[in-house]
Amino acid sequence: MFVHIFKYRLKCLLRDRANIFWTMMFPVILATFFYMALSNLGSSEAFKPINLAVVDNEHFRQDLQFKNVLEQVSSGDDRLFNLFIVPEERAKEMLEDNSVEGYIKADTSIDPPIALFVKKSGLNQSIVKSFIDDYLQTQSAVKAILSENPGKYAEILRDLSERKNYLKQVSGTKANPDNLPFFFYTLIAMSCFYGGFFGNREITDIQADISPLAARINAAPVHKMKTFLYSASAALLIHLAELFVLLIYLLLVLKVDFGPKTGYVFLTTMSGSVAGLSFGAFVSAVVKKSEGIKIGILVGTTMFCSFLSGMMNQNMKYIISQNVPVLSWINPVNLLTDAFYCLYYYDTYRRYYLNMAALLFFIVLFCSCTFILIRRRRYASL
Amino acid sequence: MVVKVENLVKRYGDIVAADHLSFSVEEGEVFGLLGPNGSGKTTAINCILSLLKYDSGTIEIFGRPARPDDYDIKRDIGIVMQNVAVYKELTVYENIDYFCGLYIHGKNERKRLVEEAIEFTGLADFRRFYPRKLSGGLLRRLNIACGIAHKPKLVIMDEPTVAIDPQSRNKILEGILELNRQGATIIYTTHYMEEVEQICSRIMIMDRGRAIAIGTKEELKQMISLGEKITVETFGITHSQADALRALPNIVSVECKDRMLVIKSSKGRNNLEAVLECMKTHNIQYGRIYSELPTLNDVFLEITGKDLRDQGV
Repeated sequence: MFVHIFKYRLKCLLRDRANIFWTMMFPVILATFFYMALSNLGSSEAFKPINLAVVDNEHFRQDLQFKNVLEQVSSGDDRLFNLFIVPEERAKEMLEDNSVEGYIKADTSIDPPIALFVKKSGLNQSIVKSFIDDYLQTQSAVKAILSENPGKYAEILRDLSERKNYLKQVSGTKANPDNLPFFFYTLIAMSCFYGGFFGNREITDIQADISPLAARINAAPVHKMKTFLYSASAALLIHLAELFVLLIYLLLVLKVDFGPKTGYVFLTTMSGSVAGLSFGAFVSAVVKKSEGIKIGILVGTTMFCSFLSGMMNQNMKYIISQNVPVLSWINPVNLLTDAFYCLYYYDTYRRYYLNMAALLFFIVLFCSCTFILIRRRRYASL
Repeated sequence: MVVKVENLVKRYGDIVAADHLSFSVEEGEVFGLLGPNGSGKTTAINCILSLLKYDSGTIEIFGRPARPDDYDIKRDIGIVMQNVAVYKELTVYENIDYFCGLYIHGKNERKRLVEEAIEFTGLADFRRFYPRKLSGGLLRRLNIACGIAHKPKLVIMDEPTVAIDPQSRNKILEGILELNRQGATIIYTTHYMEEVEQICSRIMIMDRGRAIAIGTKEELKQMISLGEKITVETFGITHSQADALRALPNIVSVECKDRMLVIKSSKGRNNLEAVLECMKTHNIQYGRIYSELPTLNDVFLEITGKDLRDQGV
């Protein structure tokens, strides 16, 4: 009997195009849009060389050290400046028409001997200013040392070429410190809870007071709960396969970095699928309304929970956890998102297990309530 | 006794859908439940199928109390719902196979039964069709095939011919009689009196949850005073001419409406001959003339004072 019901349930669900679209195609499409919209976040923050003009005058030509330093930082792929060595009039014109962020004029007769001229203040102007200050400070220090210890010239040159940084950037995890996966975690969590469509349908097709089809099933010599469990198994298999496709798409096509614990990500997604399916069954069993209203409630609830988990705005997750922490714990989508988050950012599993335990509690709660609500065999009205 | 219902009471709030309903269905019968919409037919069926809770009364099927978890009883029941109850994602063959498989475990036996059901309902050319591609009549046939494929001993059909064309209806009614000939006992609910007259061996007429009459169609017609109804197309009739007709033996009423003269007689013989003779004698001009025996609608009308046809649809 299991094989019979399971086989036909698979056929039914796989041929339900609307359901397949919402539970598989929609998340894949949404992931693609997320990728297109969010992948530029990182690149927009990447450093671009600053266009800088240098006045080609006698002082500059004679200051070989400064000239060398400027040329060094203006060469290669990771150069700091795109350098334009031009007469002063041309430098002024370039600044005026915004071709450059500023221009430098070397003149030993004035103080400071290297002056920066800018039209406005901004990050790029600050970088140039900082570079000039650093150069002048170093030049001054070298001059002072050499005036007192002329023999240390070689040592100073070596130290300058081997500058040490005494600060080291250390990651809290083995994963890249990247915010992008977070959006995809909320997307996966949302997709898991779209499994609610399957749960809803399983209940609709078993409740004789909802559909004539269910009345026919109830009149058959098969225990109602068995029919439900066999059918739900088929639904779970399809939903897991859909989520697997989504994860593979994210990993292999969009190259989303899930960190070092990809296996756990798959395991968590499977738990999320069970949670989503049981959630849909629960909503369908509780809400004694038409199919359309049930679907509306399911979609609305899932989207609202996803919103609170930070799908539309990452800060929302932190606002909720800071101001209404209990909401974080009673929002199953957030539990799932947070579990993914822990896997990515933390090396320990404590918070991950807490999230999973809370999620398990919700699964048990949804299943128990659903069982109590649908276990009756005779209805007050049909 | 295949089905025995005693003092069944089912209330929906203040509405009594089944009011101390009692009836029994013998093996081999085509038992009709006739009544207007809302008379309690479907409620009675759903109680028999153990789908609906009821307030009091007892229901026995095959001599055992009807219970939702008595799967041995359920295995011998076929159900054809009022609304088409099939999966829109499965083909005709798959739908029948699925529902048959809930009753029959053996794969080969199931395959044979499904083929027989397809043949029986005339769906052989549509086996790969999805329900959305079927006409209303074919869809109803599929609905029936899903209910009877496992060859049940008792088939319960709840208005299986609603909203279909006459050709499909006749096909379905012929099929029901064939099922009965093959040994199935049938409970058939409808509000079409012509259908029960055509196929049912015994009929229960229901109104407001109560059984108001039960018996064969002949027995039901015997219950009322009307013996014959003669309808005459006239071109005008005077009071004295009408009185002359009323004076004839066995005539109980003479009414003229829209140039149609309706003469009802109580039981008796040769009423038509006497009416014709009288019309000739009194120079009553007439066109078409025809005589009818009482219908179940007349039975319903006489018992309840309401017209079954007016409420049926």
